[in-house]
Amino acid sequence: MRLELRHIRHVYSPGTPFQVEALRGVSLSVGPGEVLGIIGGTGSGKSTLVQHMNLLLEPAGGKVLVDAVDATTLKKSELRRRVGLVFQFPEAALFAPTVWEDVAFAPRRLGLEEAEIGDRVRESLALVGADHLKDRSPFALSGGEQRRVAIAGVLAMGPEVLVLDEPTSGLDPASRQDLLRLIRTLRDTGTSVVLVSHDTDEIAEVADRICILEKGEVRAIGSPSEVFYANPDFAPATVSTVAALNETGWDIGHPVRFRETLRALAGLMEG
Amino acid sequence: MSVARSFGQFYPVASPLHALDPRAKILSTAVLLLGLFFVDSAAGLGLVAVAVVALVAVSRVPPLTFLRLLRPVAFIVALTVFFQVLFSREGETLFAWGILEIHEGGVRLGLFLGGRILLLVSAAALLTATTAPLALADGLEDLLSPLKKLRFPAHEVAMMMTIALRFIPTLYEESQKITKAQAARGADFAEGGPLSRIRTTIPILIPLTVGAFRRADELAEAMESRGYRGGEGRTRYRELRFRQRDAIALAATALVLAGAILL
Repeated sequence: MRLELRHIRHVYSPGTPFQVEALRGVSLSVGPGEVLGIIGGTGSGKSTLVQHMNLLLEPAGGKVLVDAVDATTLKKSELRRRVGLVFQFPEAALFAPTVWEDVAFAPRRLGLEEAEIGDRVRESLALVGADHLKDRSPFALSGGEQRRVAIAGVLAMGPEVLVLDEPTSGLDPASRQDLLRLIRTLRDTGTSVVLVSHDTDEIAEVADRICILEKGEVRAIGSPSEVFYANPDFAPATVSTVAALNETGWDIGHPVRFRETLRALAGLMEG
Repeated sequence: MSVARSFGQFYPVASPLHALDPRAKILSTAVLLLGLFFVDSAAGLGLVAVAVVALVAVSRVPPLTFLRLLRPVAFIVALTVFFQVLFSREGETLFAWGILEIHEGGVRLGLFLGGRILLLVSAAALLTATTAPLALADGLEDLLSPLKKLRFPAHEVAMMMTIALRFIPTLYEESQKITKAQAARGADFAEGGPLSRIRTTIPILIPLTVGAFRRADELAEAMESRGYRGGEGRTRYRELRFRQRDAIALAATALVLAGAILL
């Protein structure tokens, strides 16, 4: 599915002394099987932006388009099933007595048959690598396990776009790698993924396109190598290293991902 | 940030009432609340009402905002008046229709009781509107401290109040976040009757409670690691000082009340 935001504006507490313009006309899109990485500092409007993708927040101006259809014309439940939103620290919303029941919450709300619900729960738990936890209480799990279960709870709706707000914050390195693997798996099955993070190294590894948000505006959007080499203050370690080498006279192109960069550096050493 | 005002909310402006020692205000309010039950004439209530209106003027809380603070209890006042008027059988009959009879004494009693509740609530609202929550807790602790001799945990009670007040906005914010997260999973909080409404709040209440317990644990650890060990020998950052004006305020309240009881 293609999700498109056009000139989205958002104002918090309009008409009061606390009025803040959080988004000032943001436009971007993500296509099927594509990973869009959104980066930006704190207060840049990232979290406000993602809440517009399933209209949990209504824009003060602009449009959200789902496969070229205005999202406001869709039923809320339909929109929220198609655009799955995983908030920052999603484990704070776990509530059911067992992991299985918690993941079944969303499909149950969709009114599916019991057999279909069972299939969805099994599949989503398998995707996040948490099938062995299904009978445990979500409150007795480790932080990393809770995060997996919470993400499975959104995957169980079968979203066509998955929006992840800072999904790796507070996770150990192994869980981070698992999560990046999950994002690649979903992309390969045609799901669109929006990944919000301020860890540029991590975004560089999975994103097909990058958007930099600053003070509620899009500062740059495009391919990772275009965006990162033009915005050194947001560049991942690989890009900073290569840019420094290029500056001293070498020319090893514009690799972004770790393996590409290694290959480029290996070529340099052989040559 | 919410701008909605409700009963018990602090209204931060500078006024002579705001500047009074919280203990003077708590004592005056307490005296007034108790004394009001001994006022048995309409003239007495009138005198107290004049005093309360004057105090609202002095407090610099806009009158309309003050009325809005009272709105949550308007229903109780209305209910009291309604039942008194309907079920009291004293005095002349003013109106009769079938089994429905309205008597003169009922109307009088209804208005009197309604007025008394309104004044009770106004006095309490005036206290909370002009006293910052922390000052209120400090004042209460100080007033309750003589009870420490009877092993009453005055400091602990005040600390609990302070913490509870501090965490209201935090928990509110947390509940908003959880509500959104569940809405993203298809929860719909607007639909159905009261029973299904209660059911739909379970996915919010459980995580909120779990989170509150976690926060309480963390706060206890943070307090311990900073050396907190209860009220014993603890000094204050803000020292309360009972000045002449506080004594005058207290005396004036007592005087008005005495006048109202005698009237």
